[in-house]
Amino acid sequence: MKLSVKGPSATRAGGLAAIAVAAWLLPYGLGSYSIHVVNIAIIYALLAIGMGLAMGISGQINLAQVAFFGVGAYTLAILTTDSGYGFWAAAVIAVLATVATGLFVGIPALRMQSHYLGIVTLGLALGFINWITNASVTGGADGISGIPLPTLPGIDLSSEYLYYYLELVVCAFGLGFGLFVVRTSLGRRLRAMRDDSLAAGAMGAEIPLLRMTAFLLASLYGGLAGVLYAGLIRYVAPETFSIGNMFILLAMVIIGGRRSLVGCVVGAVGLTLIREWLSDFSTYAQLGYGVVVVLMVVFAPTGLAGIPSRVREFAHRRRRSHTEDRARLRPFQPYEAVETPDAADEPLLEIRSVTKDFRGLRALDDVSLTVRPGEIRGIVGPNGSGKTTLFNVISGFYRATSGQVRFGRRATTTARPYALSLLGVARTFQNLRLFGQLTVRENILVALDRTRTYTIWQYAVWQPGVVRRERQLRRQAQELLERFGLTDFAEAAPGSLPYGIQRRIEIARAMASRPRLLLLDEPAAGLNGEEVQQLARIVRSIRDSGTTVVLIEHNMGLVMSLCERVTVLSSGGVIAEGTPAEVVAAPEVIEAYLGDSAMADVPLPEPAPRQAPAGPTQASASAEASASAEAPASKEATR
Amino acid sequence: MQETLQTLVGGLSLGAVYALVAMGFSLVYRTMGLVNFAHADIAMIGAYAASTFYLTSKLPFAVAMVVAIAVTAAIGLVIERVLRPLENKDFDLMLIGTIGFGIVLQAVAILIWGTTGRAVRSPVRSAPLDLFGVRVRTYDLLVMAVAALAVLGLAWFLARTKRGAAMQAVAMDHEAATAVGINVGRSNALAFSIGAGLAALAGGLVGPMLYVDASLGGALGIKGFAAAMLGGFGSIPGAVVGGLAIGVLDSYAAGHFQGYSVLVTFLVFTAAIMIRPMGVFGERTVSRA
Amino acid sequence: MRTMRTIPFRRTAAPAAGTPATLAVDDLSVHYGGVRAVSSISFSVEPGASVGIIGANGAGKTSTLKALMGLVPRGGGSITLGEHDLTRVRARAMVRHGIGYVPEGRHVFPGLTVEKNLLLGAYARRWDAETRATLAEVHELFPVLGEMGQRLAGALSGGQQQMLSIGRALMAKPRILLLDEPSMGLSPKLVGEILSALKRLREEGMSLLLVEQNAKLTFGATSHCLVMENGSVAMTGTSEELSRDVRVRQIYLGL
Repeated sequence: MKLSVKGPSATRAGGLAAIAVAAWLLPYGLGSYSIHVVNIAIIYALLAIGMGLAMGISGQINLAQVAFFGVGAYTLAILTTDSGYGFWAAAVIAVLATVATGLFVGIPALRMQSHYLGIVTLGLALGFINWITNASVTGGADGISGIPLPTLPGIDLSSEYLYYYLELVVCAFGLGFGLFVVRTSLGRRLRAMRDDSLAAGAMGAEIPLLRMTAFLLASLYGGLAGVLYAGLIRYVAPETFSIGNMFILLAMVIIGGRRSLVGCVVGAVGLTLIREWLSDFSTYAQLGYGVVVVLMVVFAPTGLAGIPSRVREFAHRRRRSHTEDRARLRPFQPYEAVETPDAADEPLLEIRSVTKDFRGLRALDDVSLTVRPGEIRGIVGPNGSGKTTLFNVISGFYRATSGQVRFGRRATTTARPYALSLLGVARTFQNLRLFGQLTVRENILVALDRTRTYTIWQYAVWQPGVVRRERQLRRQAQELLERFGLTDFAEAAPGSLPYGIQRRIEIARAMASRPRLLLLDEPAAGLNGEEVQQLARIVRSIRDSGTTVVLIEHNMGLVMSLCERVTVLSSGGVIAEGTPAEVVAAPEVIEAYLGDSAMADVPLPEPAPRQAPAGPTQASASAEASASAEAPASKEATR
Repeated sequence: MQETLQTLVGGLSLGAVYALVAMGFSLVYRTMGLVNFAHADIAMIGAYAASTFYLTSKLPFAVAMVVAIAVTAAIGLVIERVLRPLENKDFDLMLIGTIGFGIVLQAVAILIWGTTGRAVRSPVRSAPLDLFGVRVRTYDLLVMAVAALAVLGLAWFLARTKRGAAMQAVAMDHEAATAVGINVGRSNALAFSIGAGLAALAGGLVGPMLYVDASLGGALGIKGFAAAMLGGFGSIPGAVVGGLAIGVLDSYAAGHFQGYSVLVTFLVFTAAIMIRPMGVFGERTVSRA
Repeated sequence: MRTMRTIPFRRTAAPAAGTPATLAVDDLSVHYGGVRAVSSISFSVEPGASVGIIGANGAGKTSTLKALMGLVPRGGGSITLGEHDLTRVRARAMVRHGIGYVPEGRHVFPGLTVEKNLLLGAYARRWDAETRATLAEVHELFPVLGEMGQRLAGALSGGQQQMLSIGRALMAKPRILLLDEPSMGLSPKLVGEILSALKRLREEGMSLLLVEQNAKLTFGATSHCLVMENGSVAMTGTSEELSRDVRVRQIYLGL
C-alpha cells in the first residue's frame, strides 16, 4: 500500500535503484566460476540489444549478429597481437570496423526484406565464419590467443569480479542509449517503418537510410560485445561465432520479447544462465529452446516482455464497461483561417497526360488535372476507375509510365514519397494505414518530425539537442491532439479504437506535417452520418487554414456540399470536370455510375445537404473497396 | 581446359543436390509464401535416416531412401500443422518459427545419432568413367539422374495432376481457391510434406558424397536457399538453374580460393541478388507483398 | 421480414447447371470488429430466377455475398438452398452444395492457363468425360476462352478474365451462380458482352444472384432487385419498376 502514495516515476526510480544496488552487490555472493558465467551473460545481453534494435524495433531480419560480434572480437585480437596496438585503441578501431561491416551487410536490405534479407544476412555470416576458420591472419580453426589484458588506471581487470563492473557499466550505458533511441525521434521512425514502411515513407521517413541505421545500431552493439568478449576471454576462436550460437541468440531475443530491449536483456541473461545450468544436458537444453521458440511464436509472439501488457489488456477488457464512457472523442477545434491565395495564382498541383500501366493493364489513361491553391477538389468515379492509382502517382508511391506531375513549381514525377512529404504533400489511405504498434500520440509524432535522417548524428554527440527537439515535438503533438479532439485516446493503440476515430487520427496525422496539399482517400468510408458532418467541418477548416485539399469520395452528398470542382474518372480516364451540380447532371457521369445514360433524363430534385441516415454505421470499406486499392506491383519489389 | 571441365562435372553433381533442396524451398514458398528455415535440418535428418536404414538396417539404398523420405514428409506435416495459425498473418513470425523447428531437429539428430558423423559408402561400386579425359564417378551420374527424375516428377505433378494444379492455385489466390472447393490447409500440408521429402532425397543422395553429421544441414541448406533465390524463388526451372549455378560456382571457388570458397560464393551470390532481387526466373506476381 | 418471391418463367437446362433449387437467405448480418456492415438482410432466389443487389460503393453488397459464401463470418441468420441448410457450411464446401461464386475483382489464377483455371472450377467434381462436356459448354458460351485455352490467365484482358471467372464458376455445375461486380473496371462495350452472356445464362434456366454497382447491367440481367444503402435494404421491386424510379439514383449519388 505504501507504493500507492508515490507517483509512478518515483516507483520506477526506486525500482531502478534497487536493481542497481543488487547488480552492485551481486559479485559478493558469487564464486569465481559463477561470475565468469555472469560476465558471458552480459556480453550476450549487449548482442541481444543490438539484435532487438534491428529485428524487433526496426523489423529488419538480421541473422548476421554473431558475425558482427566476431568482427569486433577478431579485429581487436589481430590489432593487439599482430600489429601491436594497445587494447583501447584497438577497441575503438574494432568497433568502427564492425560498424562498417554492419553497413555493408545492410546494403541488401535496401533491395529486399523479410525472408530474403534473412537468407542474405545468414549467407554473409556463414561466409565470415568460413573466412575466420581458414584464413591465416585469424589463426584458422585454432583462433588467436594472447590478447593483452585491458588496462584501467587503478583497476586490475584480470580479476573477473572487477571486469564484471566494467561490463556492467558498458551494458547499462548500452541499454540506456538503446532505450533513449527507441523512445525518441529515431526509434519512433524505426518502429513506424517496421509497422508500415509505405505509410512511414509518406510521413517523410527516408526508408533506405533508416534501414541502414538499423544495421548500424545492430553492428555497434555487436562490436562492443566483441571487444568486451576478447578482453574477458583473451582468446578468440571460430566456434564462438557459429550459426548455432546465432540461433541461440535469436531464441534469446524471441523468448525475451523482440520489441522490448529490456525483454532482450532478460532473455539473454536468462537463457545464458539456463544454458550453463543445463550444460551437462546441452542437447536437451537445445531441444528445449527450440520448442520454447516455436511455442512462443505461436502463442506469445511478444515474448516474456509482452506478458505484462497482455495481462493488463485482459484485465482492462473485463472492466471496460465503466471506463468506456470516460474516454470520448471531443469536438474538433477549427484552425485559424488565413487569407486564401488568389485564385489567379499559378496551380499548386498539375498533372499532365499521366498514364500508368500495370503489366499491360492501363490503370490511368492520359489523365490531366490542375488544382489551384485553396481549392477543395473532389475526385469521383466508379470502382476500379483509377482514383487511388492517381493518388499513388501524385504521392510518389507509383511512378507514372508517361506524363508529368508538377507540385508547386517543381517537377515531381519521379520524386520519392518522403521527398514529397517534405515538400508539403500529405495523404491518408483508403484502408487506414496507422502504425499499429505505436500509440495515437506516437503516430502523430512520427508525422510531426520533419527532420532529415542525417540529423541522427546528434544521438552520437549531442543528446541534449535530441531531448530539446523531442520536447518541442511533444508540445506540438499535444496541441494537435487537442485540436482534433483526440486527447482521451492519446496513449491508446489505434487498432483498439472505433473506425470513425481511426479515420480522424489519420487526418490528424496527415495534418501534422503542415502540408500545402492534403490528399484524402475516401475519408468518409465507414463513417456514420454525424461523423460525415464533422468530417465536412474539419475539411473546410483545413482548407481555410491554407491547405489545399483533394479528396476521393463516393459519398456524393459530401462531395456536393464540400467541393468547388469535381473531376470524374472512369476506366482510367477523365470523363468530366466541373462544379458538383454540372457533374451530377452530366450524362457521362450518370452512365459511369449507373451504367445507364437514359436515367440521366429523369429530373433530379434540388441537391440539399444530406440528412444523416439514422441507421447503423457500416464499415465494409475494407472489404468493398479493397480491389481498387490493391493495384498490382508496388514499388517494393520483393517485400 | 581439362581442369575446367573436371571442375564443371564436380560442380554439376553437387549442383543437382542443391537444386533438389532449392526445389523443396520453392515449392513451399510458392504455395505458402513462406521460406522454411527448417528445410536444411530436414535434409540433414533425411541424410541421417537414409544412412541409418542403409548401413545399420542393411536395407537396399533405394528402399532406405524411400523410408527416409516418408519419415521426413511426416516431420513436414507436423511443422505445417503447428505453424498453421500464423499462415497468411505474420510471415516473419512463421520464419522464426521454422528456425525454432530447425533448432529442435538438430537437437533430435544429436540425441539419436550423436555428435560424431559418419561416412556412407557409395552404393555404386563400379569404377569412375573416363569421358574425354574427364573422370566422372558413377555415383555422381546416379545423383544427377535421380535429381533429373525428381525434377520431371515434380513438374509432371504440378502441370498434369488435379492436386498439383490446386496447389498452385492456392498459392496464387487462396480465397478463389477456397471458392472452387480446394481445402487450402490440406493443400499446404501436402506441399510442405513434398518439400520435406525432396529435402530428404537431397540429404540421402549427398550422404555418400560428403560426410554426414549434424552440420550437414547448414551447408546444404544455405546453398539450397541461395540457389532458390538466384533462380527466382518459387520457380521450379529457376531452382534447377540456380542449383547448378551455385554448384559450379562452389566447386570453382573451392578450386581457386580453397578455404575461402564459402565466402566467395556468398559474396558473388549477394552481388547477383542485389542486381536482380527476383532472380533469373522470378516473377513479381509470385512473390507476395 | 422482406422476402421476395419470384416466379420462374422457364425451366430448361442451363449450360453446366445442376438441378435448380431455391436459395433463401433470412436475416443475414455481417459485423467487422464490432461494426455492423450488413444488418439482417433477407431475400430468396427461386429456381431459374435472377435477382440483383445494387447500391453505391460501401453499401454492403460485397459483404452480403461474402457472408453468404462463408468467406467472412456470418453474423446470425440462415441460408438454405433447396432442402439443404447451408448456414454453417464452410466456404470451401459451398461449391459442393451447388453454389457457384464469381468473386469481385475476378480473381482468376494468373499463373495458370485458361484451361487449367476452368478445370479447377470443377475441382470438387471428378475430372472425366462429363467435365469435358461442361468445358465444351463453357467454350460455347465464351468462345474466346476456347481460343485462348493455353494462354496464362494473367495475360488476358480484364473482360476476358471476367468471362474466365464466370466460366470457372460454371464448371462446377452450380445450382445457382453468385456474381460480385462483374462489370468492375470494364469499358461499356465489355459490360455489354457480360450482360449478353448473363442474359443467355438466364434464358437457359440458370439461377443468378448478381451484386452490382452498374444498375443498367443489373436491370438488364435480372427480374427483381434489392437496393442496398448503409448495410440494409432500402428498396425492392421488379427491375422494370426500379429502372424508372428516381429514388434509385438518389440513393446511388447519396443525395
